[in-house]
Amino acid sequence: MPTISIFKKDFESLLGAGPRIKRPVSIERLEDWLMLVKGELKEHVAETGELRIELQDSNRPDLWSCEGIARQIRIKQEGKLAPYPFLSKKPKITRRVVVAPGLAHVRPYVAACTASGYRVTDEGLAQLIQTQEKLADIYGHKRRTVSIGLYQLKNIRFPVTYQLVERDAARFTPLGMETVMTLSEILMVHPKGLEHGHILAGHERVPILRDASEQVLSFPPIINSREIGEVRSGDDELFIEVTGTDLPMVVLTLNIFAANLADRGATIEPIEVVYPQKTPLGKRVVTPQDLGRSWTIPLETIEQALGQKLGGQAVKQALQVYGYEVTSHTGSVKAKLPPYRQDVMHAMDVVEDVAMSRGYAEFSPVMPAQFTVGGLSKIEQTADRARNFMVGMGFQEIISNILGAPEQYRDWMRVTDTPWGKMVEVDNVMSLSFSCLRQWMLPSLLRVETASSRAFYPHRLFEAGEVAIPDPSHELGSRTETVLGAMIAHATAHFSEIHSCLDVLFYHLGKTYTLEPVPHPSFLEGRAGKIVLSGKAMGVIGEVHPEVLERWQIGVPVVAFDVNLSQLIDHQ
Amino acid sequence: MDISSLIDSLHPLEIKVLTAFGSSHSGSALTTEQLAAATSLEPSQLSMAVEWLLAKSLLAIDKETVTPVASMTTVGERYHAKQSPIEEVLAAARSAAGTGQRLTIQNLQSQGGLDPSDVSKAVGRLKKEGALLIVQGGCIESTGRPSPTAERLRMLLEQLHGASRELEAFSESDRQIIMEYSVKRGNANEPFRVDERVARSFKVASGGITALEHLAKETATEEVSQLSPELLKDGSWRTKRFRKYTINLRAPRIAIGKKHPYREFLDTVKTKLVSMGFQEMRGSLVETEFWNMDALFMPQFHPARDIHDVYFVKQPTHATHIAEPFLTKVASAHRNGGATGSTGWQYVFDVERAKRLVLRSQGTAVSARTLASRPAMPGKYFSIARCFRYDQVDATHATDFFQVEGIVLGEDINFRTLLGLLNLFAREVAQAKEVKFLPAYFPFTEPSVELHVRHSRLGWMELGGAGLFRPEVTLPLGVSVPVIAWGLGLDRMAMVALGIHDIRELFTDNLDMIRTTRGLF
Repeated sequence: MPTISIFKKDFESLLGAGPRIKRPVSIERLEDWLMLVKGELKEHVAETGELRIELQDSNRPDLWSCEGIARQIRIKQEGKLAPYPFLSKKPKITRRVVVAPGLAHVRPYVAACTASGYRVTDEGLAQLIQTQEKLADIYGHKRRTVSIGLYQLKNIRFPVTYQLVERDAARFTPLGMETVMTLSEILMVHPKGLEHGHILAGHERVPILRDASEQVLSFPPIINSREIGEVRSGDDELFIEVTGTDLPMVVLTLNIFAANLADRGATIEPIEVVYPQKTPLGKRVVTPQDLGRSWTIPLETIEQALGQKLGGQAVKQALQVYGYEVTSHTGSVKAKLPPYRQDVMHAMDVVEDVAMSRGYAEFSPVMPAQFTVGGLSKIEQTADRARNFMVGMGFQEIISNILGAPEQYRDWMRVTDTPWGKMVEVDNVMSLSFSCLRQWMLPSLLRVETASSRAFYPHRLFEAGEVAIPDPSHELGSRTETVLGAMIAHATAHFSEIHSCLDVLFYHLGKTYTLEPVPHPSFLEGRAGKIVLSGKAMGVIGEVHPEVLERWQIGVPVVAFDVNLSQLIDHQ
Repeated sequence: MDISSLIDSLHPLEIKVLTAFGSSHSGSALTTEQLAAATSLEPSQLSMAVEWLLAKSLLAIDKETVTPVASMTTVGERYHAKQSPIEEVLAAARSAAGTGQRLTIQNLQSQGGLDPSDVSKAVGRLKKEGALLIVQGGCIESTGRPSPTAERLRMLLEQLHGASRELEAFSESDRQIIMEYSVKRGNANEPFRVDERVARSFKVASGGITALEHLAKETATEEVSQLSPELLKDGSWRTKRFRKYTINLRAPRIAIGKKHPYREFLDTVKTKLVSMGFQEMRGSLVETEFWNMDALFMPQFHPARDIHDVYFVKQPTHATHIAEPFLTKVASAHRNGGATGSTGWQYVFDVERAKRLVLRSQGTAVSARTLASRPAMPGKYFSIARCFRYDQVDATHATDFFQVEGIVLGEDINFRTLLGLLNLFAREVAQAKEVKFLPAYFPFTEPSVELHVRHSRLGWMELGGAGLFRPEVTLPLGVSVPVIAWGLGLDRMAMVALGIHDIRELFTDNLDMIRTTRGLF
């Protein structure tokens, strides 16, 4: 979900002067229009005219720029997409990029074009750079799949070669540096080298783009040359290149740049890329290239999904004003995606575009009418009953994080290296305080007791909630079960006090239990018992060990029990 | 005021004074001194109680006499111990005559401690009485004659030293001197003061007689503090009086057993959902990436599957297996769409990655499991599932939180019934009448909707996200009818209902806060 920054004036000029566009555009109107692009206005700086817009759809990189947003709105106002002449079937080719052998396992694909006749403005430059960053970062997976380079065309002699070189065999001055550096120096020193160098890890030879006079254009996907690869306001001839590992994504990214620059008035000239071997698009690939796939969708599919009879004409109209090329057939529509989109994977994606194009407000809500029976799970019913009994016995419920600190869950409970100390732990720890899942309830209760010595006594606390109990025999390596823990703390808290509570609870849950002494390290020896039903232990009760209390910095005696409700309800 | 509430209103001091009049009702009057003796109260307490009783018309003034009383001031005590100004001036004049020195008024005034106005007053009086002469040059000379004033003053200083006396007890001429040398307004520097002593006697007023009768009856019965089984058993409570409590004191604190305020909130949501026909689903805290993400058609390269978004389990790292045919079908949906009519994500699906264990990051994982377990058709399901996100914890981000999510399956499910369901949620869960539906993006639904409602206290807010599950989600899991997937973001509503501003306080360890937080639902 990228958030981009655009300028209102720039946006308005890109909208064009269609008869249905009133300028200046009001913010309310803009927010309405943003529904067409799943955009949300996050900030509007009235003085500078800057608008910060969050775009939700991670599959629509064409919308991550001022040009893209304006285009989607403009098409809706003008009724259809004006064709892009550079996508004609038989383009005149004057420039080529030649791909040398060996790149197939490193970064196989490249797409490129030129743009001339548009003098780059400050706003235009800001958009070019922002689009380059957002597309490479988010759509291109931090440059791994796609990265983009922009250059001043006048400095380049064609054909350009895309080739592999030894890391020390090429040198140039990278953007942001003053001196000539080898590729390995760039990888070791340049900030972009340090940030993205891992993409080339394991490859002795790395890709570069070089022109006919042997000057290095760039070292993709790391950095451009400072001499050629720095575009400034006022430049009016650009060379744009995209490299990457996924050919459709590489071509789409170039298509987006071409459309964006064409929308600003540039003339786009396609370039032919010549590969040493066949690619999914052939050996010679002209870019930009319209890869927009056509979808033939039965009208019934669309109408059923939307719950509304629309008719072929209305569907056609809705899709056209959303940028599709549409032809109607009996009972179906054939919709071709515009060249800057590849996001449709299923007919349902087209269905959503119909709904968005018409506006969600056009669809009146209908209540689902089929009858269903509601209810709670058996374990939740039992947990609710147990909660009610605990409340009746004067216990205050607490709710805790399930994630906690191993030190507290294990060391402070004196269960390190015992079966009671096994827990599900996090591999990629962010904070030790949240790095393992509780496997019983007592630590959660003690956490509150530790923090609440100034709350008046007695303290009677309980929590009924989920825990994760490690279990190698389970397919997930652990079982999620619901446990009830309860504790009493005050100056004369005594085993019999909590025992009475357990007794009443089991009586009302209709279960018969016995207590068997257990040497549990969290409790005083001789004052702890397993709660046993038909020979199976389902919990523990006892007086908390003074060393546990010391570690938790608790200054009063604590008695507690812990009952596994999940096992209890399975027990007949 | 009726008599019993009048009696109840009496302060113990008032009762003491009133009962000092005895039960004789003879109407005999008692003076303040007699009352003080009978009640042994401090004068201040006595006068307070008497004033209250007079105000309540239980007591009346029988007689009131005003007697002027003369007494000595601290200035007078000083004169008594040393000399009065007039005596000092006379003595100075006499000793000057003896030594032949010239004595001026200025000399006198410069003598230690004498006030200029006292000097002029004394000189004037002595000259009038012929005890002094003022000669040429403002010099003072003694005539050798006595001063009656100085002598009487000395007598009076002796008489009033340490005792006050009624003014009437003095002769006419002494009274004049006392009055002349008394503290007056504007002149506090005098040896005597004359006060009006008010002597009052009181008698019981008619209201007081009734009150006394009641009091007499009450004191005849024994006062007890506690009703007891014994008193009830033998009926003797009838002859007892129960000590009255001050019932407007603060009640002692107690802590009751109760549910957690956040639980109360979640219970209202749970009850609403069940009442709308939703069945509860439960899932596992630890999940495979398969059920947490793959089954939801989130591609394995999706940014939200990054190491920085999900917690991975340390041990074991992978599940032993993923149930078939789901694994195969989901994998082909990812690769090329399989039999779902989709192009799929067009990448190499990694089966080992699918088995990687994570902490459940979204409640939708529970929905995915339900879809794969032969759900009821039509069916409605919900879960209130604990989820974990790899997030820095702060006032608005929790790493461990509840998600309210669910699904609706049925032949009649479509975009408009989806909007209808969201309308229902808006009304039932948020009590909102106004709603807005905005296009949204979720990897597993198409179309997708964001539900915005106008909340009575929060204004426009996002209540939830929903959509129709993509066929790439439902078909591989064996469901061929359309399915709504919905999620409600209720934590902000919960925080408003509980009056808290920090999301961490939903799981606070502060018992005082848990005990006293009051939910407004």
